[in-house]
Amino acid sequence: MYYRMIRNDMARSKVVTLTTMLFITAAAMLVSLAAILIIHLTGAIDTLMTQSKTPDFLQMHSGSVNEERLEAFAEENAAVEAYQLAEFLNVENNQILFNGRPLQGNVQDNGFSIQNETFDYLLDLDGKRINPLDGEVYVPISYRKEGIEAGDAALICGKEFTVAGFLRDSQMNSLLASSKRFLVRPNDYEELKPFGTIEYLIEFKLKNREALSLFEAAYAEAGLEANGPTLTYPLFVTLNAVSDGLMIAVILLISVLTVAIAFLCIRLTLLAKIEDDYREIGVMKAIGLRLSDMKKIYLSNYAVLAAMGSGLGYVLSLVFQDRLIENIRKTLGESQYGYAAPMLGAVGALLIFLAVTVYVNGVLNRFRKISPSEAIRFGNTQAKGKGSKGFRLSRNRRVNINVLLGVKDVLSRMGLYTTMLVIFILAVFIMLVPRNLYNTVASPAFTSYMGIGQCSIRMDLQKSGYGSEGGLGERAEAIAKTMESDDEIDRYVVLTTKVFEVITDTDNKERLKIELGDHSVFSVNYTQGRGPKTDDELAISVLNADELSKRTGDSLAVIIDGKEKHFTICGIYSDITNGGKTAKAVFSNSSAEEIWCVIYASLSDERNADRKVSEYRALFADVKVTGVDEFVSETFGATIAAVEKASVVAAGVAILVTGLVTLLFMQMLVAKDRYSIAVMKATGFHNSDIRHQYLARVIFVLAAGVLLGVFLANTLGEMLAGSVISSFGAASFQFIVDPIFSYLFCPLVLFGTVILAASAGTARAGSIRISDHIKE
Amino acid sequence: MKQIIIAKNIIKAYGEGQEKRNVLDGVSITVGQGEFLAVMGPSGCGKSTLLFALSGMDGIDSGSVTFEGQELSGLKEKEFADLLRRKMGFVFQQPAMLKNLNLLDNILLPAFRDNGKNAAGIKEKARALMKKTGIEELEERGMTQVSGGQLQRAGICRALMNDPVVIFGDEPTGALNSKSSQEIMDLFTQINREGTAVLLVTHDAKVAAQTERVLFMRDGKIVREMRLSKDLGNKITGDNVAERTRKITQTMAEIGG
Repeated sequence: MYYRMIRNDMARSKVVTLTTMLFITAAAMLVSLAAILIIHLTGAIDTLMTQSKTPDFLQMHSGSVNEERLEAFAEENAAVEAYQLAEFLNVENNQILFNGRPLQGNVQDNGFSIQNETFDYLLDLDGKRINPLDGEVYVPISYRKEGIEAGDAALICGKEFTVAGFLRDSQMNSLLASSKRFLVRPNDYEELKPFGTIEYLIEFKLKNREALSLFEAAYAEAGLEANGPTLTYPLFVTLNAVSDGLMIAVILLISVLTVAIAFLCIRLTLLAKIEDDYREIGVMKAIGLRLSDMKKIYLSNYAVLAAMGSGLGYVLSLVFQDRLIENIRKTLGESQYGYAAPMLGAVGALLIFLAVTVYVNGVLNRFRKISPSEAIRFGNTQAKGKGSKGFRLSRNRRVNINVLLGVKDVLSRMGLYTTMLVIFILAVFIMLVPRNLYNTVASPAFTSYMGIGQCSIRMDLQKSGYGSEGGLGERAEAIAKTMESDDEIDRYVVLTTKVFEVITDTDNKERLKIELGDHSVFSVNYTQGRGPKTDDELAISVLNADELSKRTGDSLAVIIDGKEKHFTICGIYSDITNGGKTAKAVFSNSSAEEIWCVIYASLSDERNADRKVSEYRALFADVKVTGVDEFVSETFGATIAAVEKASVVAAGVAILVTGLVTLLFMQMLVAKDRYSIAVMKATGFHNSDIRHQYLARVIFVLAAGVLLGVFLANTLGEMLAGSVISSFGAASFQFIVDPIFSYLFCPLVLFGTVILAASAGTARAGSIRISDHIKE
Repeated sequence: MKQIIIAKNIIKAYGEGQEKRNVLDGVSITVGQGEFLAVMGPSGCGKSTLLFALSGMDGIDSGSVTFEGQELSGLKEKEFADLLRRKMGFVFQQPAMLKNLNLLDNILLPAFRDNGKNAAGIKEKARALMKKTGIEELEERGMTQVSGGQLQRAGICRALMNDPVVIFGDEPTGALNSKSSQEIMDLFTQINREGTAVLLVTHDAKVAAQTERVLFMRDGKIVREMRLSKDLGNKITGDNVAERTRKITQTMAEIGG
């Protein structure tokens, strides 16, 4: 009997059935996909990091090293399982040519290494440790996108190589990691050595990773080589996970919204159905059918829909998974838990099935409230609509009668329209949040969230390039002088980073890199407080603030020239540069050890940025000159493109959902309101009047939805997007809203869609015959 | 007398194939200006269908219906809706009203469609009609807060808002008790005396007895016609009405209703 009832029901309301199933399918597909992707991503990262034996602690160091002292430290420290000192040979990008084209303009620090002996292996695409032959070079996997292929000719510092293949580097795979390692055979490496500068990678593998923070403290305490960023295992995991993790986050977000929409659709159709069947339900209750028996009839209907939808969604997720996993496979390799992915996907789809069933069961509890006598006598609920009092035709002066009747209907049947309102709010939300996120990430001001002032040119001077003490400062001064006399340079600032010791709350000494100079010229965005203005103020990066447990207003003791000096924390900012542990101050100091120097400049005409970058590259060949646009596009380009793609897809989904839901809702409403429509027609209203009334209803609801949606997108959405952005290292976040999209395009498109869908949905309102519904 | 409705040989069938049955089987009828007539017949004889066909609310399969010289089937949807609203009034057995409007707003509905700018004028008119029908105190009430008789009066007010040429009543007293029923009939009589044609469908002989012409239907055909004088005689004693009622009941029995 159930089967017959289900089949009849589905045949009777095809659009409703199809739309509901579509949403369940989409929800199941997305949840299953997210589950599959999470398994692959975590599995692939895990596999890669296990196979390559990623170090737990890495200290990059420029300058000379005391190998014996390091070895002694490693031997004495009980936590150390293995230690090695690897080299990274920094080579100028214009010295690296593939197929005759130099890597110049590339913002990465490219360098050469040899395969490590005990851990931190560079792997081939099959996860095997690579041992290059003479004249062979292995290229980081991220360069595959640049069109480099195995077999290509490479010319490095004048020596010919052949590209033997690509390598995966568990430390530097991500585009967000600023260095890239190329792998060559030791004897080739020796030949390249004179052409580059050596940076040391002091690497430790620990017996127990949980002891990492203790080990970090011990390393700092020992006063060992630390002229460069310090990186740890968790950071490598994050770097590897960010790009694809962001995609998964977006899919999860969309799937949550789709599940919400699917539920709302079910609620809408189910409530309408209960209202339609009100009398029958009353009769069933009156003849003594049990609540559970009655529920079973409706539940079986939705259980079949949910089962079909979830099943189909799961199958679709298996069809689409390859495309989405492709990037993970390429950059990170295969997941060791790959076999479990389809199972977890199935669990995701099953969860959707269960959630739908439980939800329907919950909605059906309304049966309890139905009074059999009322249902049989009146055939509907006698509960009166609220909120429309005072909104009277008789008090109307100006408003068109169809608009008035439409709005009045919405106000008097709020419960019915609330579902639709929520769906519209969600649609606006889905449309605006990814778009605003994209707009923010793509905006030039965004770099200021990342610890980079909003400028056009950035010049990096590493200490390793200038052997003698003070060499760095001299070079920076020379650049500053050139800029001073350059009319095209609008403003510039020289910021020198020096290392100081600070005293932590636990009375330990830690090294802190403080960037000295005028930070007001190209200010970064401060999460809390502001930049340093006086000599006793210090701004610290979020990572340092966390580590030192400091907030704005707190005091921090820094040892300068052997004396303790107390600074007030005036601001906290996000930083992704140089390992993220930085600080900013304005005091001048000539005694502390300087490690690097950055020069920021803006141009009077930003259009000349590219030319100016080349000009300075030619003038100061030893300095890394980067156009900030270029830096952003190379570092975040892929992410920005992914976010843009996601925002376009999300907008498409939102428009589709809005259209479908409007169509569904209007058809249901027309079916429900047959009697009222007949009354309208009998009193001489045109079919177009009736359509206009329905349009007025849906436009009124949409207008409210757009207003609320825009508000929520700019508040709650900003918070949500902020949490996604924080995965890049930026903690404070404000949307840079695209006003044309948010306040013009999005509402216009939604209104257009709704008008079209409502017109289609109410097309049959005119064919309702008066006599069919009024004649006794 | 000027004829406002002329229906010729109307045929309307329901059902398909072997189930097909002519509900109206070649009906011809005229309604004159200011005329008061009733259609009677047993259940299922097609009297309500005839009323809906004459008003144009229901289409017909063949034949013709003209209203003031205009062929109804030739009108476009908008032209017909305008005609319906401006020239015809309809009172149904169950008060067909919008639940989310109060009584006054329901009455105002057809007038507002054309004349929303003169809100004060039409409101005044609606209030005058409500006073005339004895429901002036109820304008703020909702559908569930008044009696069936009061709703039916509101329905009559709504039908009269645009000064129609004819009022159609589909068993307007069918759901009322005899006291309310008589009050409604008194109203129809009064409306008719003021010049509006009234065409009622009823199965109540006493209702039909108060009109001036009664048409008897059976199996989709008009089988008999009875002309009555417009003068009802002594209303207080109701003698004349009682006599007419007896005659009508007898005719009904003769045609098998």
